[in-house]
Amino acid sequence: MPEIAAAAVARRGLDPRSKILLVLLVSLAVMSPGGLLFVPAGVVLAIALALSERAWSRIVVIPVAAVVMYLLGWVLPLLWTNPVVTVVAIGCGYLIRFVAAFGVGAHLIATTSPTQLSAALHAWRLPRAISVTLAVMLRFFPVVAAESAAVLDAMRLRGLAGATGLARHPILSMERFTVPMIAASLRASEDLSASAILRGLGSRHVPVSLDPPRFGWPDLMLVLALATVAAASLLLPNPLTTVIA
Amino acid sequence: MTDTTAPAGAKSARPSFSLRFSARDLTNVAIFAVLMIVVTYAIGMLGILSPLVWLAAVPVSVLVNGIVFMLFLTRVKHAGMVTLLGVVVALFYLLTGNTIFSTIGIIVLAALAEVVLWVGGYRSRWAAIWSYTIFALSFFTPFLPLVFDRENYLQSPSFSRMGEEYVAGADALATLPVLGVLALAIGVAGFLGALLGSAMLRKHFVRAGLA
Repeated sequence: MPEIAAAAVARRGLDPRSKILLVLLVSLAVMSPGGLLFVPAGVVLAIALALSERAWSRIVVIPVAAVVMYLLGWVLPLLWTNPVVTVVAIGCGYLIRFVAAFGVGAHLIATTSPTQLSAALHAWRLPRAISVTLAVMLRFFPVVAAESAAVLDAMRLRGLAGATGLARHPILSMERFTVPMIAASLRASEDLSASAILRGLGSRHVPVSLDPPRFGWPDLMLVLALATVAAASLLLPNPLTTVIA
Repeated sequence: MTDTTAPAGAKSARPSFSLRFSARDLTNVAIFAVLMIVVTYAIGMLGILSPLVWLAAVPVSVLVNGIVFMLFLTRVKHAGMVTLLGVVVALFYLLTGNTIFSTIGIIVLAALAEVVLWVGGYRSRWAAIWSYTIFALSFFTPFLPLVFDRENYLQSPSFSRMGEEYVAGADALATLPVLGVLALAIGVAGFLGALLGSAMLRKHFVRAGLA
């Protein structure tokens, strides 16, 4: 993947290690008891990261999802008291945490190449079995996504895709989708793993990275931004934890 | 670490407790971890429709992942691969925003599934089915915060407006029993998913030379 490596050198973002730490920190803060306090800060951070990599779809999706969760989970129960609304509200109070955590995690997945990830994990002395497997997984995601899209296209062409088919024959339509998807992905993975082994994946020598992880000024800015949003979420009034009168 | 000098292509016919993964083992674990995650997310996307569908989608993804897991077990050559699958899946979910409870739970359940498989000598069909039933319980781990952090949810503004008796009713009825039913449903779906997976294996993958 020379073009990806070239792009990484041309426009250096955050160090992969600080991205991983950021994701762990945000998901721990947001998911822990009382984590709703940090959800707005996490959402702001996720939008800022999406802006920094110019991922337009995420810039739209993250705020829309957060606002929908807020409306369903906090505003709607005030307007309409109903058991179903309450169940939906509890679900949204749970899911809004995922919006923040997933938004930050998506930045890591979208901007880290497999080589960068394995260099970062190697710098942390993680067992090789885990670091290599995680890096290979990152490489396989686009393959599986492409194969799934191809299977869905083929199903649509034959008129098998669609909600009515899924409702009428759930097991059959799951079989029609998953079996070709798995088979095609496995065949593609054979080629990929053969080429990876040829390039020295299983060798006992530790590969040297052309683009070694280095902490730089973007990481410093991230630390400052984190301190700012953490202080803001502790000091400013939070719409998720205050009762609307 | 012990596995830094893994020889490429170390394959033992007899299952052993060596943690020496060959490169082929690692790519196998990686592809099946990706397949599991993609299947889980693809079905979980249905949950965007509403949180109720989201709850119902969990047993469905357990069922479909049975196919992936049973196919994975045909490629397990030695001990440690199921645990490694659990570790990388758990780490991936941790990086995409899951709780630490869930991460630890997935790893522990994967290790238990590995033990069951090891007792069956890695080739027993029923050991494989029970192994997936245990592993499938890891799909319940994202709900653990609802068990441990319940007061926080019940004291949320949306709830406290409903009146005290409503909160009391929801506390007694809507949370723990529902979660228990969900856990049970996931366990049953795991067993059925393993049966479905081994049926699919015979129907499609053995015939196609992939198992």
